[in-house]
Formats: sequence, C-alpha cells, structure tokens
Amino acid sequence: MFEIFRNMTASRRQTLVQVLTYMLFCAAILIFPLFLDNDFLLNRYARYLVLGMVTMALSLSWGYAGILNLGQALSFGLGSYAMAMALKLRTVPVHTGAGGLPDFMVWNNVEKLPWFWEPFYSLGLAILAGIFVPVILAVVLGWFMFRGRITGVFVAIITLANLVVVNLLIIDQQRFTGGFNGITDLAQLEFFGFEFDAYSKSTYYLVAISLSLCLFGALALTKSKAGLILQAIRDHEERVRFFGYDVAVYQIMAMSVSAAIAGIAGMLYTVVMEFASPTFLSVPLSLSIVVWCAVGGRQSLLGATIGAIVVAGMQGALSESEAFLDTWMLIMGAIFVLVVLFLPNGLAGLIDMLARKAFGRGRHRKSDGPASDIIPTETAKSP
Amino acid sequence: MDFLLENIITGLSIGSILLLIALGLAIIYGTMGVINMAHGEFVMLGAYATWAMNAFLGVGFLASLIVVFLGVACLGYLVERGVIRFLYRRPLDTILATWGVGVMLQQIVRLIAGGELRYVEMPPALSGTVSVLGITVSGYRVFVFLFVLALFAATWYLMYRTAFGTKLRAVVQNREIASCFGINSSRIYSLTFAYGAGLAGLAGALVAPLKSVSPEMGTTYVVDAFFVVVLGGVQSIFGTVASAFVLGEATGMLAFLWNDTIAKALVLLGIMILIRFRPQGLFTSKARR
Repeated sequence: MFEIFRNMTASRRQTLVQVLTYMLFCAAILIFPLFLDNDFLLNRYARYLVLGMVTMALSLSWGYAGILNLGQALSFGLGSYAMAMALKLRTVPVHTGAGGLPDFMVWNNVEKLPWFWEPFYSLGLAILAGIFVPVILAVVLGWFMFRGRITGVFVAIITLANLVVVNLLIIDQQRFTGGFNGITDLAQLEFFGFEFDAYSKSTYYLVAISLSLCLFGALALTKSKAGLILQAIRDHEERVRFFGYDVAVYQIMAMSVSAAIAGIAGMLYTVVMEFASPTFLSVPLSLSIVVWCAVGGRQSLLGATIGAIVVAGMQGALSESEAFLDTWMLIMGAIFVLVVLFLPNGLAGLIDMLARKAFGRGRHRKSDGPASDIIPTETAKSP
Repeated sequence: MDFLLENIITGLSIGSILLLIALGLAIIYGTMGVINMAHGEFVMLGAYATWAMNAFLGVGFLASLIVVFLGVACLGYLVERGVIRFLYRRPLDTILATWGVGVMLQQIVRLIAGGELRYVEMPPALSGTVSVLGITVSGYRVFVFLFVLALFAATWYLMYRTAFGTKLRAVVQNREIASCFGINSSRIYSLTFAYGAGLAGLAGALVAPLKSVSPEMGTTYVVDAFFVVVLGGVQSIFGTVASAFVLGEATGMLAFLWNDTIAKALVLLGIMILIRFRPQGLFTSKARR
C-alpha cells in the first residue's frame, strides 16, 4: 500500500489525498444522523448543508474560474421558487378559489392560474425548471458579458445588478409571486413513494446525498481538462486566449455549472425551510455566500462548503439572543477582514499550509495555489 | 409643460443626492481602484453623528457638518492605514475587506445607538419652500443641490489646482515614478481615502433630515452610488456629475411613467447594458492604465 503511494507522482498523490478527504467529509455528514436523534436539530443542520452547497457552487466559478459572481443567490432563489411553486400547487386547497388557485393569488384577485405556473403541476418539470432556468439565465448573462470580454470588477457589478433587477421584479409582481411574503404553506415533497418531511431524517439524507454527489461532480470537473483550462483562465486570461482557446465558452460553462448546482441547492432549501421568499435572492444573502466562500477558502470546493457550514452554523447557534447576535456579527466582520488580509485562501489555505509544514516540503506540490503568489502585478493591473 | 418641469426638478433632486454620495466613492475608486463597500456605512455614520450632536449636545445642523466631515475623515484615514493599504495589489479583495469593515461599523452603531429609526430635524431656516420657475420646491432640497455643487467645485479645485491634487494625479498615473520624484504616495493615498470618507460623512449628514436614520441605511446607498461611479467612468469627476444627473432624471421620469420598482429595475438593466458596451464609462473618451 505505502509502496504504491510512494511511487506515484506528486500531483497524483495530491489528488488521492484530496479524494480521500472529500470521501471522509461525505461519510461524516452521512453517518451524522446516527448520533443525533433530534429532528429539530437535523433540520437545522440540513439547512447549513444546503448553504454549504450553494457556497461550493460559488467556489467553482470564483475560485476556479475567477468569475466573482455577486449574484450567486439569483440561481439559488430561482431554484427555491421553482420548488415552492410545485409544492404550492400540491397543497390541499383550503383558502383557494376555482381550480386550486394558490391562496395569495386569490387574495390578489387573480382569476386564472398564469401560464408560467401551469408546468409546475408536474414535479419532474418543476425540478427541470429549478435547474435549467438558472442555467439558461447564466448562459445568457455569461454570453452577454464574456463575449464582450468583461472581466474583474465589472463582472461583479453586472451580476449584482442582475440580481437586484430580478429581486425587484419578484417583489413587485406580488399577484404572481407572493411579493414580500414569498410562497408559504407548502405541501410536502414526495417522490418515488418517499415523503420528505422537513423535520425528519429523510430530508437530511436527501440534502446530504445531493451535496456529496455535487461535491464529487464538481471535483471531477476541476480535475478534467476543462477544469485545468478554467484555472489557467483565472490565472492569465490573455495567455489562454493566445493559445487559441475560446475563453468565453469556458467561462460560460463554469458559470452555468455553478448556476445548476445553486439551483439544486435552492430547491433543497425550499424543502428544508418549507417556504420560499425574496430574501433567498437578496443582496445580503448573496454577499454572505461570498463571505462564506472566502472564509472557507475560495480555491477549495470542500473548504468553501465547510466555511459556509461553520460560519452559518455559528451564526444560527448565537441568533437565539439578540445581544449575542449583534456581538457575533461584530466579531464576524473582524474575522472576515483578518481572513482577507492574511489568509487569501481561507481556512483551506491555512490547513494546506500547516499540512505542508507537518509533512515536510515537496510531498504536496501545490498545483491549485493562488495565482497572486506567482504573478502579483498581472492581476493587479488587469482592470 | 408644468409636469415636465416638475419631473426635471425631481430628477435634479434625486441626482444631487446620488452625486453627493457618489462623489466620495468616485474619488476613492477612481484614484485608488478600491471598491469601498464600507462607503454606505460612512454615510450612515455621518447621519448618526448629526443626529447625536443634535439630540445630545444641541449643536446646530450647519455647525455639525464640519465636525462630521472631520470625524468621518479621521475614521477613513484609520481604515486605510489599518486595512486597505495592504490590498492595493488585490483590487477584488478590497470589496470583501471593506464589506467586513462595513459590517463592523453597522454593528457598533447598532450596539451603541440601538436599531430603531432616528429622525433629524431640518434646520428651521431651510424648512420652507421656494418657488423655482413657478414650481414650489422644498427649500432644503434646493440647499442640498447648491451645497453639492459647491462641494463638487471644491473637489475639482483640490484635484486640479492644488499641489496635493497634482501629486495625487501623478500617483494615479504611475505610482512608482511618482515615488521616484519624492512624492510620498502612501500618504497621498491615505489622505485621499480620508477625504472621500469625509465626503461620505457629509452626504449622510445632509441626507439625514430627508430620510430616517437607521444602521442599515448605508447598504442601499452604496449600491446606487456605485452604479453612478461606474457609469460615469473611472477617473473623471465630471463624468460622475453627469451620470448622477442622468440616473436621477431617468429614475424620476421612469417612476413617473410606471412605478418606483419598475423604474429602478429598468435603470439597472440600462446600467448593465452600458457597462457591457462601455466598461470604461459613458463619459470618458480614453481609459488609461
């Protein structure tokens, strides 16, 4: 066993260690419910796992492709609305009018179910919508930006503006979207005979398995040739272009894969939270995702996931008392500033550094290290 | 014809507030390339300082403006020294770090002053109305408009007619060479950041009587102000002025035609398209760097 390990090339060895770490994490979250028999807490942890998933999606586009998407919550929120719309139509009509119209539409004097609600009678179509509506939006936006060779700060601004536009429209079109209140009073998700009660092990497992699959899917992508090209684009876009690659296509790909994962996470979030609200695609949530990603380590999928779980988890644990939460936010801000200043690669970067010190030099060659270490001036001059 | 004029004046009023907030941001972003997400919190601090001086010390509104400017500028100086100067090589990370600073400032204010809304009274001399071309306008809004023009003139003078401004422009063009000529570039950066922060504080003080004061008030302003700066073009304070008034008029007109929300969404869509085709800004002919 150790012979094989020693005979590997450095990068292969690193991949092996990485895969083992990821498997360890997935195993940990999967066996976790065996030690915890409290449905309320399980629901809460499921929520943190979902937030970890959307943060992982951001790490894929930000850490690996250099696209700082400040509108990550857009894909997340759209996924969550898709699921909420489907579950809303499955509720037993209580307040509803003719043809099982959702209650808030009745209150807003809508007579007939609008056309874009029709497909959500089918759960399969709803799930497809939860993935592909964000993907299509990401492709359109990506095409719009990257064909024009927009980079850096401007990507951040355009994605942010886009998020605000959709958020405003959803709040404004109260008759069809529930406005500020969002979509509440949902039915339970049910497929293949399984029922997913938000406060149960089944929902937790649904979330944990989805997260594990997406984590490994994303890891496979970063190890593929396309993934390597993405990292090359992040480090030096012009150089990759001179090699003859179509940079925009790769960037659009990264953004849409990230959007798909965020959409899935959004759908799961609705299942866990039992409602959808415009705060799921608000600017504060979107910025929080960026923060979690930066704290955990933007260039590590697992780091970003754990960053979100830890930070959101601590915030949730302290939010019971108002005074605690306020102080916590203060400490959080300070930690965040310190992380940005001293640990540009977040907690994952710190662990990486410690591991390299512990195991001596050369064993772990850092293949996806920060570009700024190698060419600091290039990145500084790019805007 | 009257409603058209009325709308133009509403637009000018929106534009003057936008410009007030964006001016400080434009100087910081334009000269240093730092995206200051804490700018909104500087605005908020200015508003709170005005409120506190009014409520506890009984200082008059106009007198408090000077104190607010100096106080927030000092804070800006400390933030630059403590955080931002380490990040000039990583411009995208300034978004994150300044956001963290903003969160801290917000929480400090919430812990000290409480989360509830506060109100600042308008100075009695300005609370009346005046008639502009036959339209009645609130006197305070006219005052804000004139004050912003004066601030802009002062900023222009500082940038283009003083030794400090000359040094600043030299550092912006080429930091290394400017340093070779004996300009203390890190001091210039600190002072510029302090000046921009001070302007934000002034903006907060001036906005306070118009809107309610809360710890979260800055967040909405910073996003809007940021769009103004990007649209106007980096390194052009005239561009910032033009874009503030263009955006003000556009928002005013569209809000008149549909409603506020749709107006805002349309303006943002317009900004997205403009950035896509002119990332250097609407009002700059050439982009250096």
